[in-house]
Amino acid sequence: MAVSLGSAGSMRLLRSIIRSGSLCSSSGSRSLHVTAVCCKSSAGRFRRGKGDTPVTYEQAHAPHYIGHRKGWLSQNTSNLKGVKDAADRTVEDMFIRRFIAGTFHSCLADELVIKRRGNMIILCAIMLQKLLPIKMYFLIGYTETLLSHLYKCPVKLEIQTIENKVIYKWF
Amino acid sequence: MDFTALPHKYQDDPYLSPKTFTESVIFSLSLNSGSTAAKYFINSNSKFFTKDFSEPHIPCLMPENVSLRLEEVSEEALKERIHVRKVKAAVDLYDQLLQAGTAVSMETTHDLLDLICLYCDKDPVQEGQPVSEDLSKERGKEAQKSRWHTLLSKQSLNSSWKKNKNAERIFNLLPERDTRCYSALIRGMVMHGAPAKAFSFYTDMLNHRLKPDIHIFNALISAAPHVNTNSQDRSEAIIKLLKEMNQQNVQPNLQTFNNVLRSLKYCPPYNRSLSLTTMAEMKALGIAPSLASYNHILSIFTKQVSGKPGITDVLEEIMSELAGKSFTCQDPDDVSFFLNAMKLCWAEKDLELAYKVQSLVEVGENWRLLGHHYMQNVYYGCFFRLQCMMEHIDVVLKWFRQHYPSLYYPTHGEILYLLRALEMDGRLDLLPSVWKDICSLQYEFKETIIEELLSLMTQEKHSLEVQKSFGECALDVKKMIDQNVHGVDFKWSNSALSNLILLLVRADMTQQAWNMLQLFKSKNRVPREDLIEEFLMVCRSSGSPDGAVKLVQLSSAFGLSATPRLAKFTLAKFKLTDEQRSELSELESAESPEKETL
Repeated sequence: MAVSLGSAGSMRLLRSIIRSGSLCSSSGSRSLHVTAVCCKSSAGRFRRGKGDTPVTYEQAHAPHYIGHRKGWLSQNTSNLKGVKDAADRTVEDMFIRRFIAGTFHSCLADELVIKRRGNMIILCAIMLQKLLPIKMYFLIGYTETLLSHLYKCPVKLEIQTIENKVIYKWF
Repeated sequence: MDFTALPHKYQDDPYLSPKTFTESVIFSLSLNSGSTAAKYFINSNSKFFTKDFSEPHIPCLMPENVSLRLEEVSEEALKERIHVRKVKAAVDLYDQLLQAGTAVSMETTHDLLDLICLYCDKDPVQEGQPVSEDLSKERGKEAQKSRWHTLLSKQSLNSSWKKNKNAERIFNLLPERDTRCYSALIRGMVMHGAPAKAFSFYTDMLNHRLKPDIHIFNALISAAPHVNTNSQDRSEAIIKLLKEMNQQNVQPNLQTFNNVLRSLKYCPPYNRSLSLTTMAEMKALGIAPSLASYNHILSIFTKQVSGKPGITDVLEEIMSELAGKSFTCQDPDDVSFFLNAMKLCWAEKDLELAYKVQSLVEVGENWRLLGHHYMQNVYYGCFFRLQCMMEHIDVVLKWFRQHYPSLYYPTHGEILYLLRALEMDGRLDLLPSVWKDICSLQYEFKETIIEELLSLMTQEKHSLEVQKSFGECALDVKKMIDQNVHGVDFKWSNSALSNLILLLVRADMTQQAWNMLQLFKSKNRVPREDLIEEFLMVCRSSGSPDGAVKLVQLSSAFGLSATPRLAKFTLAKFKLTDEQRSELSELESAESPEKETL
């Protein structure tokens, strides 16, 4: 049930609330919307619609299947006891994912897998054969150098190519 | 050297791994150009890359300071410009300093002169920046042809000393000139094509009673052949320089001896004895010769005398001396040694010696001295050709499967050698597997290779499975050529097309053979007679008289001289209808007047 305290037309309600002193909104020109709590998790899930959206294995499985039917996309030791800077690793991962998605535009067949080994970052990607190999190599050289200079550690790209995206299900 | 996989820079994926020589070169070039593009961005937007959280500090991952920090007219600013190698800016600043009257220290002047003479008064081409207008005009068409050669040698080799106005001007302005100043100028002159001037500067220097250093002598020795015209003068000039070096008590180093040997190449016939005495001197002084010295000796002793016996003796001696040693690169000419040695082995068809050379390459890190892509491919190409000619086919194929595509990409000439080797050893049944390699090398549109392959397959009749595999291969050949992935206009020849259909006939693929026969008309080619004959035999064994009649009609349409004979044979051996009989007897008699006149 949404309770809206709009300024026009409900002056009586506003006056009564100000009199009761329970809610204080300054001069009545701002409004506050609240919704009821929805006790349902919706993170990382593909909503079923008609059966016309192709969906990969990664997308089809919800996050509670990680460790059971799915692997990890981001592999580092920052979540072990006594290891610091987990947030920094996460932010770096987010940046790297967006960077690769933009550089290899619409070439990624599935999510990027980021592995941290020693001081190296290894990016494993499955790409579509959309670009000529010459162009792929140019972009590979470019990303490796740029990310190495940005994160001050060796960054390696390991790419496998497939012809089409692998469709697991239709949602 | 590791031949189990492609070099690590290539991605381990069939779509992204190079299968021909051009692909391997172009992929590594595009990889490098991607890194240069990234470095350009990093250096131009350095504020995003300066946050240093690496422990310990990694200098190579920080952006380079390309822009100059110091702007005022001072010696510090001059030193900075020299360090960053901005030639024009440094010269301008130096002039400003002289006008302002500030004294510049001797060291900085030395550095400045070194800089000007090294780059011949031009700014060097920075990595990742566009080539400047005048440089690109100078090189003109050559730049487009051999772009990567000019990238390898960053300086333009055609730069001429005459365009260098500043070096001598600054030199003359100096109140006192010492050995280092002379050294910079002389070496610059030799490097940029003014050897005569270098020698006159040298005499000038001696007149001022200055002691030359080792670098001056090295430069002059390498310039000596370009100043004198005939061999005697050249060798005398070299000897004179060495004697003067001795007088001045300057100790020679490896570079001196390598330069002597390289200059001796220009003075036949004095060079043989002189080169041997040079090697003896080197050993007496305790300087270990590098591969470049052996390379020069090889060229001196084997130039223009191929075919004479005993020419490989020099190489035999060298190999026995070098066996098992490992080398590092000490001279730019080191990389030519292995290539020249293998070329000599190929010219003299000496397989044992080639194996010795290869075993030296496999010692330690010597494979690094094989040179760049192209030289390496030529080296392995010579080795492969030698093996094809002289070794057993199993050894050849094993070596080939090991080294292609990780280390070596055969040229189409070398594929022809492989086919001939298969023929010599009678292993024609391996031809379909070689065809797969030909396709991956993208040579399937080369007419010579297709002709050779098809004629080898039709040479003799084999067992049934082999014939079937040949038939499959023939269909594959046709399919690949029709696909025409490379947009090349492939011209079938008479024999190639006839051989193709013959293979299909022998493999019992008669339906496809019939379809292919129509190609003769569409491509304006004439079938061979033995094709028609063999096809006729097959028709007889399968019992199809219609087919036989069609074949005879086809042969008469092409005006083959065997038509009457074929018509006679068909009339005799097949059960024909009356119509067919009449047609055939026409064909038989139509040609006979010609036959009588013959």
